Amino acid sequence: MRKPGFAIWAASLAAYAFLYVPLAVVVLFSFNDSVLNAQWVGFTTSWYRKLMSDGDMLRAAANSIGIALLSAAIATALGTMAGLAMHRHKFRWLPFLVLTPVAMPEILLGVSLLLFFRQVLDLTLGFASILIAHITFSIGFVAIIVRARLAGMDESIFEAARDLGASPWRTFRRITLPLILPALVAGFLMSFTLSIDDFVITFFVAGVGVTTLPLQIYSMIKVAVTPEVNAISTLLMALTLTLIVIASRFAPDVLKAKA
Amino acid sequence: MKLFFALLLLVGTVRAEDVLHLYNWNNYLAEETLRRFEQRCQCRVKQDYYSDNEEMLAKLEAGAVGYDLLVPTGNAVESLIRRDALRPLDKTKLPHLANVKPEFRNPWFDPDNRYSVPYASTVTLIGYNVEKLRALDLPTDTWALIFEPRHLEKIRGKVTVLNSQRELMAAAMKYLGYSVQEADLARWDEAKRLILRAKPYWATFSNSTYIKDLAVGNIWVAHGYSNDMFRAREDAKAAGRPFTIGFTTPKEGAVLAVDSYVLHQSGRRPDLAHRFIDFMLEGENAADVSNAIGAGNTNAAATPHIRPEIAREPAIFPPPTTMARLEMLRDFDPKMRRTLSRLWTEIKVR
Amino acid sequence: MTSSEKLTRWIVTAPPTVFLLVFFLAPALIVVAAAFREPGEFGGLAPWSGLSLEAYRFLATDVIYVEILLRSFAIALLTTLACIVIAYPLAWLIARSPKKRRDLLVLLVILPFASNFLVRIYAWIMLLGPLGLLYTPTAVIAGMVYVHLPFMVLPLYTNLEKHDPALLEAAQDLGATAWTRFWRITFPLSLPGLFSGSALVFIPVLGMFAVPELLGGTGDILIGNLIKEQFLDNRDWPLGSALSIVLTIAVLLLAGLASWGARRGLHGTEAVS
Repeated sequence: MRKPGFAIWAASLAAYAFLYVPLAVVVLFSFNDSVLNAQWVGFTTSWYRKLMSDGDMLRAAANSIGIALLSAAIATALGTMAGLAMHRHKFRWLPFLVLTPVAMPEILLGVSLLLFFRQVLDLTLGFASILIAHITFSIGFVAIIVRARLAGMDESIFEAARDLGASPWRTFRRITLPLILPALVAGFLMSFTLSIDDFVITFFVAGVGVTTLPLQIYSMIKVAVTPEVNAISTLLMALTLTLIVIASRFAPDVLKAKA
Repeated sequence: MKLFFALLLLVGTVRAEDVLHLYNWNNYLAEETLRRFEQRCQCRVKQDYYSDNEEMLAKLEAGAVGYDLLVPTGNAVESLIRRDALRPLDKTKLPHLANVKPEFRNPWFDPDNRYSVPYASTVTLIGYNVEKLRALDLPTDTWALIFEPRHLEKIRGKVTVLNSQRELMAAAMKYLGYSVQEADLARWDEAKRLILRAKPYWATFSNSTYIKDLAVGNIWVAHGYSNDMFRAREDAKAAGRPFTIGFTTPKEGAVLAVDSYVLHQSGRRPDLAHRFIDFMLEGENAADVSNAIGAGNTNAAATPHIRPEIAREPAIFPPPTTMARLEMLRDFDPKMRRTLSRLWTEIKVR
Repeated sequence: MTSSEKLTRWIVTAPPTVFLLVFFLAPALIVVAAAFREPGEFGGLAPWSGLSLEAYRFLATDVIYVEILLRSFAIALLTTLACIVIAYPLAWLIARSPKKRRDLLVLLVILPFASNFLVRIYAWIMLLGPLGLLYTPTAVIAGMVYVHLPFMVLPLYTNLEKHDPALLEAAQDLGATAWTRFWRITFPLSLPGLFSGSALVFIPVLGMFAVPELLGGTGDILIGNLIKEQFLDNRDWPLGSALSIVLTIAVLLLAGLASWGARRGLHGTEAVS
């Protein structure tokens, strides 16, 4: 088999450069000693220190992490059930219901949830509304990952368990669960990342007093663009980077799951 | 780090009671003023920002509950009062209320100041890069600068306008010589066509990013609020940029905005809200809004504390001749509002 | 099926189903209903007073709304094509690399995706400002491509990796040029991957508002921006709902087209191998 030629390598390197140069600029300028951040003035870590004492930012971070943990946990549970159901019990409508939130543009989900919370539930927008919204779009991702994992497994082991008289719960607990555990971990991490990162849907359903990091960054981009934005961006990048690396160790297929 | 967050959450919940939720314009309250208040009341102020009355009203309509204080402009105050969204003031808690200048008392939008206390005033005008415009030999005292192609072609892609239906259309109406409260739909249509003709030359619609864009030099002309232009000028100076930012009220007239503090019904700490309002009514604190923010002042006791160079700024403290040409926006009836908002959608799309 | 198995079936299927029916399907139906209401006096929705087609009539009376939908399609198409052009060599490289290096290369594609979506846009604001390219259609396309590129690379490389190299070798032995080999063999076989990737780029781009808002100019408003403005600026919820429904129909048609294309591509693949 012929190895990829020079042209392919050159084009690929250009693509990688395209991907990384903008982010490198963001990271670099987080150390810029200039409020306007238009030109490079000098090196400083003061923006990171300012970040640590920025109450609003820290609260937004705490909210983001709290919501992400909780929504990922619930979404993983519900998504695993959905994945199992889609694999085993071929209801025609199930994939549609589970996968459409994944395929829909986020703005439609945001708008529909806003209308639903306000018109039908008369719910005060806040922690709960954001939590529910995040769970809704994460379920599908977890389901896809779990289903993919199940699809790659040998069915005979389940049949053997049934023939030997194991109850469905026992089969699940002793056989299925351990086998799909990597998918669950990957799903959890994926949901966590999606929740921390979400902007559009949160934008529509967030209320007073509960800001998430993306919303805080958005308001900073519009109102007060100092290198502090770069600093929080860099830290956020480091966090989600770590999570994705861990996720890919558990389930390399998670990266292909969307295909 | 996790421990830190946990502690923060704990501290946050314990002190959740002593938080004042303020929904304010961006760039409308100086940090030092805020700190001084937090010291005085031993409480925390949580600010959220908006850059347009419509944005604020929309957020409230979409269910934002829990703001103690809002800072709406006159027409928005009227709208909120009609909607029964405001808590009446307890004037016994506002000993410094007498500091308000007589001309701002008993406004048309809130007779007898039952709900609102005036805070500051701004003019919506044109901010510009002084050197660039001089070099291009462009006039800076007229709306023609942002509406006439013969000027615009020299500054194509370097102009931003406010992303606000009321403000942008008002500027067009003023330029055409009409009132901003015009009832004749044909004239609004004329304004729409004027805007659409100029639109291709504009860089973008912006309610807040223009401050930085002007100060950095990406944009040379911006339609915006006087206090924001003041900030852009200070920022450019502080960063040692090789140009200065100027701002002028166009000679055809402009929109004057008087912004007031009001208490929202859903706020949980009306007591803190009253303390804050009274704090801001004290002369020294009120002066900050002119000295640090560059907004017009509604407080008589603040006058001795205002820096002379700011008191002399015609765009911040308009002289009587300019004042005569300034108009305040008033809300329209629902039918007119909807017609205009659909006109605005058309402007955005074409 | 035993009764305990039947029970299990429902225990497993019910919770996610109920959750999604309540928080996904019901809201979607609310949007449909909201488009038939009148706007409230202060915004939002007026109290129920019978069906009103006013919002739809407003959209139908002016061709401009079709134009903005078409403009959104055009931007989405350009973004997708740009993604294909940039992603193809990259996906090819990854597919043809030895396994160990392949995982690393894929990770390197994913990592920028690890940064927050707004950060990725902000990066372009920083880059394009000094270049004077901010607030232009170029900026919008650049931002859209940047945000969606991984979604094109992944399905494409997954597909390319499955191609049998023997086919290409045979073609080379028979005297086919590199271009012919690509165009007659590789490209057709990669169509399912291209369709998947295109759907994953095209559909989200259609609904985006943050990129045009932060990077775009006065003429770059897309349908997502219009929808957002109706809810969060104009307070005209019926109009916003009607626009959302238009977008939803467009998306459903596209999704149908994409899955048809993917399946047809697969048949083609079977015929060749």
